[in-house]
Amino acid sequence: MTSKIVLLGADRAGEAPHSVPGAESLPPLEESVAYVRALGKPTAAQVLQDARESGRVAIQPRCGVGGHEEMKALLRDLEAQAAPDILTLTIDAHTRLKRFEQALRTLNRDPRDLNGYPLVTHGWQRGRDLNESVAAPLEIRHGSPDARALFDVSVASGITSFEGGGISYNLPYSKAVPIAESLAAWEDVDRVCGRLAELGLIIDRELFGTLTAVLVPPSISLAISVVEAVLAARAGVRCISVAYPQSGHLVQDVAALRTIPLLARRYLPEGVQVHAVFHEFMGVFPRGRGHAEDLIFYGALVARLGGASKLITKTYQEAYGIPDTRANVEGLRLASRANSPLLDFVAVDADRVAEEQQWILAEVADIVEPLLEQPDLKAAVAQALERGTLDIPFSASRYAKSEIIPKRDAEGAIRYLSAGSLPLSRRALRRNDELLRRSEAGGADPGLGSLLADLTGDINYFLTLFGESDREGTS
Amino acid sequence: MQQRKIILGVAASDAHAVANHLIAHALRGIGYTVVNLGTCTPVEEFAEACREHPDAEAVVIGSLNGHIHEDLRDLAATKAEGAIRCPVIVGGNLSVGSKKDPAALERLYRLGVDRIVNDPAALPAVLDELRATRPVAEPLLAVS
Repeated sequence: MTSKIVLLGADRAGEAPHSVPGAESLPPLEESVAYVRALGKPTAAQVLQDARESGRVAIQPRCGVGGHEEMKALLRDLEAQAAPDILTLTIDAHTRLKRFEQALRTLNRDPRDLNGYPLVTHGWQRGRDLNESVAAPLEIRHGSPDARALFDVSVASGITSFEGGGISYNLPYSKAVPIAESLAAWEDVDRVCGRLAELGLIIDRELFGTLTAVLVPPSISLAISVVEAVLAARAGVRCISVAYPQSGHLVQDVAALRTIPLLARRYLPEGVQVHAVFHEFMGVFPRGRGHAEDLIFYGALVARLGGASKLITKTYQEAYGIPDTRANVEGLRLASRANSPLLDFVAVDADRVAEEQQWILAEVADIVEPLLEQPDLKAAVAQALERGTLDIPFSASRYAKSEIIPKRDAEGAIRYLSAGSLPLSRRALRRNDELLRRSEAGGADPGLGSLLADLTGDINYFLTLFGESDREGTS
Repeated sequence: MQQRKIILGVAASDAHAVANHLIAHALRGIGYTVVNLGTCTPVEEFAEACREHPDAEAVVIGSLNGHIHEDLRDLAATKAEGAIRCPVIVGGNLSVGSKKDPAALERLYRLGVDRIVNDPAALPAVLDELRATRPVAEPLLAVS
């Protein structure tokens, strides 16, 4: 490392807040491409491609702490003890919101007060130091509606995978960022990916289909990802990971994962590599270690059955907050057991999966095709979100109508209790109605009180399943 | 016919979105226009929405994290300034811990909360009642 360390002196804490620290000293793209080439490790895109070709699921943790040495130690420990295929830098909340000065102040006061690694504040030289300290490629995971500064530092750090998108990193995370702004910011990121591809470096761009993580119907998750993927591909992105969150219903989850390559063929140009990524259950997790581990292993099996290229893992400490290294290691090891060649006998009802897939494809088509026909897709997306013809449940942002009410059916699959203003076909709406009515004793329209109770039950699905349901819901 | 309108939101320190969206959904279902300010809404944002929507019948504030007293600290002053003129209804999980404390509810009334509603299903009836008992002369018309 160079001896001049960007931005750590307390004397810089009082600087004008508008400046992006270290931005003036970023190396040119060509230098970063050469750096990655000389780094002696595969890119994230190569790891994903290898996983797909060898028929195994690549494994990746979430991890991020504030201090640089602590972050380096965390990455090294995870690699030494669990050998994940890709490692993560989870970024702190200040950096996500471009509050770089606050990130710096907190870092100087006590790095433990940061809930992730402030990469922009630490600077790209330290990013390279992290990159050089492990053999696995790194991905940046965050939640920024405008990640341009973070992305520039990420590229300069030689990091080859970057999560987010103009819809999926806005609506679940921000209350009042206009969608046109986040779409424009992410288009800038994707254009730089296009330039890097021309220079010979493929950046994996992962889309956050998990959204609010609360009862997200598969066709909503995938429709949002299709729109973001089309925008990314048009801007020049060549490797796209479509992340889908585990609903908990085997057939629905396998069908959703297997639909991702079909959507890619239907809506994306040739030459764009598309990977299915599975997020182990993102909702309310059981507290008992055995129960949590059952759910982790089940999720990993679903990823295998769905043909996912990659799995993002959880830990047995999920119900309690950010896990320690030990739990993270155990979660990775357990998930990787599902890659065992012994488990070839585990199968899923192919006919039921195929049927569910046809419905998911049809619902996604209903939602995205009217948008993809528009000459200005970004403007069409903003307008559709305003009208509710594109929508997500339980949006944090005011820039989605959030008229969708999801609900689990009798089997636990997530359906539309209300599809709001989504342009779903009558057939699709009828099927959702029928599947939900079947799950209700009386079939009458539920009142608000019982709707709240039912939804809380759906959110706490795994607590009930494991007999932990006396705990209060956390939605 | 003029639609009935309410302003809805979750208290400033609270990010619980599910009940908020379900209440908005239910009230829209019975014909209300719902101005939903969503999660993490400070008192001044409720006041701003009241200025933009002087025809709103009530402000409905949800809170599930037990910090409602702190979140509504400025409510009395905001009401005294006239920035919130319609009734304020609060509901949710209103004090930290599993034991509900009557003194905590009393403190909410002193902060300027007009009604406390524990069961969201009771909201429509409470809104009807508040509308039926509101002052005949609309003070809003005189100032706006």
